[in-house]
Amino acid sequence: MSNSLGAARQRQQSSPWLWPLIWGALLLISVVAMASAEPLFRWIEPDARQVIYGRADFYVLLGRHLLVVGIAALVTIIIGVLAGIAVTRERGGDFLPLVGQLASLGQTFPPVAVLALAVPVLGFGTLPIIVALMLYGLLPIVRNTLTGLQEVDPDIKTAAHAMGMTAVQTLRQVELPLAAPIILAGIRTSVTINIATAALGATVGASNLGDPIISGIVNGNMAYVIQGALTIALLALTVDSLFEVLQRQLRSRLSTS
Amino acid sequence: MSLLDALPTPRLRWGRLHPNIVLVSLSLIMLAAFWLLDVVSMAPNRIVLGTGHSALEAFGWPGALLATLLIATVGIFACQPSQRHYRALLATIVLLMALMPVGLIASSYLLIDPELPQARLGLGAAYWVVLFVLLLCLIEIRLRLNLTRLWPTLLLSGVALLWWLCATFWLDSLALVQEFKARDQQFVRAIGQHIRLVGIAVSISVVMGLSLAMLMRRYERLQKGAFAVLNFLQTIPSLALFGLLLAPLAWLAANVPFLDRIGVSGIGTTPALIALVAYSLLPMVRNTYTALEEVSPDTLEAAKGMGMRAGQRFWQVRLPLALPVLLEGVRITTVQAIGLTAVAALIGAGGLGTFIFQGLGQAAMDMVLLGALPILMLALMVDAGLGALAEALRPGGIR
Amino acid sequence: MIELSHVSKRFGEETAVDDISLRVAKGKFCALVGTSGCGKSTTLRMINRLIEHSEGDILLDGQAIEVYDPVKLRRRIGYVIQHTGLFPHWSVARNIGLVPRLLKWSAADVQTRVEELMDLLGLPVGEFAHKYPHQLSGGQAQRVGVARALAADPDILLMDEPFGALDPITREKLQDELAKLQARLHKTVVFVTHDMDEALKLADHLVVMREGRIVQQGTPLALLQHPSDPFVESMLGGLERGLKQAALTRVKDHMTSMGPTLPAQSRIPSDFSLRQALSMMLRDHSDRLTVVDQHDVPIGELSLRRIIKEAQLDKGSARE
Repeated sequence: MSNSLGAARQRQQSSPWLWPLIWGALLLISVVAMASAEPLFRWIEPDARQVIYGRADFYVLLGRHLLVVGIAALVTIIIGVLAGIAVTRERGGDFLPLVGQLASLGQTFPPVAVLALAVPVLGFGTLPIIVALMLYGLLPIVRNTLTGLQEVDPDIKTAAHAMGMTAVQTLRQVELPLAAPIILAGIRTSVTINIATAALGATVGASNLGDPIISGIVNGNMAYVIQGALTIALLALTVDSLFEVLQRQLRSRLSTS
Repeated sequence: MSLLDALPTPRLRWGRLHPNIVLVSLSLIMLAAFWLLDVVSMAPNRIVLGTGHSALEAFGWPGALLATLLIATVGIFACQPSQRHYRALLATIVLLMALMPVGLIASSYLLIDPELPQARLGLGAAYWVVLFVLLLCLIEIRLRLNLTRLWPTLLLSGVALLWWLCATFWLDSLALVQEFKARDQQFVRAIGQHIRLVGIAVSISVVMGLSLAMLMRRYERLQKGAFAVLNFLQTIPSLALFGLLLAPLAWLAANVPFLDRIGVSGIGTTPALIALVAYSLLPMVRNTYTALEEVSPDTLEAAKGMGMRAGQRFWQVRLPLALPVLLEGVRITTVQAIGLTAVAALIGAGGLGTFIFQGLGQAAMDMVLLGALPILMLALMVDAGLGALAEALRPGGIR
Repeated sequence: MIELSHVSKRFGEETAVDDISLRVAKGKFCALVGTSGCGKSTTLRMINRLIEHSEGDILLDGQAIEVYDPVKLRRRIGYVIQHTGLFPHWSVARNIGLVPRLLKWSAADVQTRVEELMDLLGLPVGEFAHKYPHQLSGGQAQRVGVARALAADPDILLMDEPFGALDPITREKLQDELAKLQARLHKTVVFVTHDMDEALKLADHLVVMREGRIVQQGTPLALLQHPSDPFVESMLGGLERGLKQAALTRVKDHMTSMGPTLPAQSRIPSDFSLRQALSMMLRDHSDRLTVVDQHDVPIGELSLRRIIKEAQLDKGSARE
């Protein structure tokens, strides 16, 4: 058992960056070379006036998509981790049960519904998307930060305390490093969901990688749909595989389990 | 003895005299929202954006004062938490929720000009915030009073019934109600479609997920491959997966007449179902697999030692013990499918998502709400229902 | 020196520790023994202020502990717990060097100290320094735990059932090593355990606790001879008490000079216990043993009658 595990680990270690590189390269190719694939798309949609989505270049769409997801991720990570830390401290303990319940209950809210509810309050455009992404993306991060911090072995925390580590030292040197893999998993979930939800943002007037799909569906142009879908899928796979590498590195650095 | 048993738990620490900071802050948030944000908005017709109205304008002095008093009561009771005060708090909060539609009736009398039959009342930001915070209060009180989920569910059902009554008989001017009345048959059909799609997709993935998980337990090689594929599918954004299914299915439908005849097409139910099942499989398989694997080897060994045959061990020991985790998988799958089905409306699969996207297209926010709110409620109801079922099935309530 | 006088600890309504007084002189080894939930761990944790006591005074070196800064106090007191509490993401060397680093020792000093301690506890530096806790056996992990507690050379060492989770053989080995270590280092130790044999073996001063109170305290021998009530007696092993007492007594303290008769066939080294002597008599069907020194030269003899008499004599002497 341990032997085969070790072998598997070695195999993985030899090329941890393989998948991100493959997906990233494909994403790059699809963004840069979309226009030159015109004959292919012409074959799919022989009758359409235009077969390459032309309202904006794909790298611009990709940039906007990444920007929206990136801003939302940055804000949610900061707020989510801080909130998770705050309610697991003694002083914020009163809020722990409610926040814990809310974080798990919030997973029930469908992202579409959250996006749709943000529009009446915030209007059309990029802002409601960012806010919806932040609200929705916050929950997995808070939940996993809570779980991660709570799952740190009480004996270890007692030991840290008893050795004379201050609360801040314990948090930074012991609790956070030990909770990091779980927190990172939460961030991964959050970002994966957000990439998908941001694409839906095209329906509320944001211009990003969801736009070719939506306008393709509206105009019955399959070529647009494929272009958008392919690029988003590649983006999601690239980001996800990057997280996979990060998580693996973190785990091997912690060398727990 | 475990070292931590000796530590005071936070629950013990806040004794009788410490205020419940959570409820106090929630009450303050409600007060701030109530007075600073618009309570309702009024629009002369469907498309024009409404103008916001404050609490004073909407309810008049007496109404605004009553609401303020009730919200303040929450904060005051929370300063001296005790079993009795928590019960009083519960009553206050339910009362507040019950009064919310009454407030709307009042403001429709105060604000709406009878000359304008098209005029409609929209819920303002304050209404949403207060409603949301009241729900938070309910959760907090449930946790503090150690109530089961049943009680709040019953109370909320009562409140919902009251709202429904008010909406049917006295709230014609509420935008949501008007939106509903304009397309009530469409609405009922959409809910039916939505539930049917979710039901079919979940049933298929439960059957497939169970069989796949069982196969994976037998063939280890399959396990790695299948999880890799399912993870891959889960990573692809829903919109992209729907999009990627559109083109090939449309091509198939156009070129293989048989498939066209049985209903396969690029747009509509087929791609929606395929995508829904593809997404649903991962949580289903993962939970089934872990559920079956996690049954304690000691228990199984004991069963074997007592002379139970393989089939008996599976049906009488492994499956009953795995059932709660398995149901958890069904719960996650269903809740996820309810949300994804909404997206499927984009490719013409129907369902409540239709209202969302049509509403967004027409900039008719009330129509968006008409789609989004039932989806939310559906998800919450399934979540609560299946959660309670899993809890009930857990033998002796182990946890 | 550790001194507790009339110390109590209440959690809400519940009294965990009730009016206990006890004194551990410098360099002495004190064991707190009792069943689960008797307040022994709580007592221990009040000494390094992991738990604040509700009433009474706790003095360290004559100074009330409230005077010390809790964080600095804990850095001055070694602490070992049952499940080691080693940081799983740190190497063995880093774990051991924790407190010196908290005390801002230079990197070189920390390293020297870590190697010294690993040496002291029988953990070869080359083999273990870079291992992680999950790669260690239970016994090895607890050695690291002890090394970590000793790292900053504290005068006081608190141990909370440190060997409770180990298998009997490893446990006994570590007990022996701890006894040797203590003979060399002379720390002031407070040791919590529910294992009376462990306590009898290691302690200079034995404290039996029950339901938050001290039932009896004294030297192990004194307790064995005069258990104050049936609870202490049952803790001490009831009928086995005689043998336990014999185990604490050396042969050389009770042997007589060689008699006129022929020396007995069976030989026993003079630093063995009376319990081992009794066992040897049973094995060899003999009521006399020849006592030898470390070079196997006969220096005296021990008879069964003598052992039985000695036990009675001790009863008299311990009464004073």
